[in-house]
Amino acid sequence: MTERQLIPNCPHREMQLMTSENENLATTEGGGTTAPLFDGLPVMKFKHEDQRRRFLRAAVVVGVGSGLVAATQHDKLALADASANDLEILNYALTLEYLEADFYTRGLKGGALSGHALDLVTPIRDHEQEHVEALTATVKSLGGKPAAKPEFKYPSGTFDDREKFLTTASAFEELGVTAYHGQVARVEDGDILAAAASIAGVESRHAAVLAHLLDGNPFPSSFEKNANMKTVLKAAGQFIKS
Amino acid sequence: MINRRDLIKGTAAIIPSAVALQMLGTKWAFAADEFSGPVDVLNYALTLEYLEAEFYRQGNGADLLNGKAKTYLEAIQKDEEAHVVALKDTIKSLGHSPVAAPKVDFGGAFKSKHSYLETAYTFENLGVSAYLGAAPALLKEKGLLTAAASIFGVEARHAAILGVLAKKQAEGGVYRTAFEKPATRATVLKAASPFLVKAQTL
Repeated sequence: MTERQLIPNCPHREMQLMTSENENLATTEGGGTTAPLFDGLPVMKFKHEDQRRRFLRAAVVVGVGSGLVAATQHDKLALADASANDLEILNYALTLEYLEADFYTRGLKGGALSGHALDLVTPIRDHEQEHVEALTATVKSLGGKPAAKPEFKYPSGTFDDREKFLTTASAFEELGVTAYHGQVARVEDGDILAAAASIAGVESRHAAVLAHLLDGNPFPSSFEKNANMKTVLKAAGQFIKS
Repeated sequence: MINRRDLIKGTAAIIPSAVALQMLGTKWAFAADEFSGPVDVLNYALTLEYLEAEFYRQGNGADLLNGKAKTYLEAIQKDEEAHVVALKDTIKSLGHSPVAAPKVDFGGAFKSKHSYLETAYTFENLGVSAYLGAAPALLKEKGLLTAAASIFGVEARHAAILGVLAKKQAEGGVYRTAFEKPATRATVLKAASPFLVKAQTL
């Protein structure tokens, strides 16, 4: 039984849609032709050419490509090919967690929240910081180099009032959820999947709480949506300065 | 009618390896030993979703809630029903038969708004841990894994909102630390058994 066999047979439309997006990853994100050069040398080695192209295209979109590429350039000799793929995913997750941790740290310093909202959002900041630490440690334990923390920028006024802060937070959390779910099928190692899934569930909790605080819908779908790296990095990229 | 003690004993006999491993401490990757294959995992999830869907059907029918709580729990009921349909369809699409809905008894859960929300909160957190604990058994089945994960995330949303409605403290209540914890099949059975009169799986 393979994924390929499963998808056409799955009669449930919503579930079918979810599984098929993952299959599209390789085709929609591949296709780049530029050689990866860093001081004249190839900096990353992927098992499959389309994997390399996918990563580069995603990295270029976000504008932190050099940081991510440099972070992983020395890792390849020490890693099995399977780990190179998982390492890429971990560093991708780390970049998103850096963004979230930075966002909440700045936001809470801004003092826009009080009462119930402050009580519920303060632990979110702590979680994102713990996610950064956990992902950093996991990358290191694999013999890889953790992605550097990018510099972030936010539209002016983001932290000025409750509504703006929570609205942006909600968007980040929903993005984070789709990002993790988009990688579920790509992770190769069981323990890494466990770590990523245990984080993803917490991001779902955050997303629901933020929707609640905004008087929105905490349960926008019966199934979490997923998004591929390119889509997520494009959305996150507007907040990354360098 | 099978009583709770018999149910636990009976099932423990079926999954001795899980029980043994549980005593050694929770290690995520052993879930593969607890399940005979992907369909077993899906039927396990289906039983839990049946339990939840019936729970909310009865609870929402008891007319205990109003305002946001009522709106939210009606939405949660719809989610659980959608999960039941999706899991049944997926099991059928794999050429297998979905398990029958378990016979359930929720005791005094619907005595009050408080007892309803507290029990719902317990169920949702159990569901989150159950999915996470079962996930390794689907590691090789990428499509199923993505589908199961997409349900898991929604259960986590439910759990958080029920924590808010039940007025739990933020950390340790609405959230259960920065990382979700997996539960073994044996643990999930133990927690769900007070409500299960008879179940084909678990």
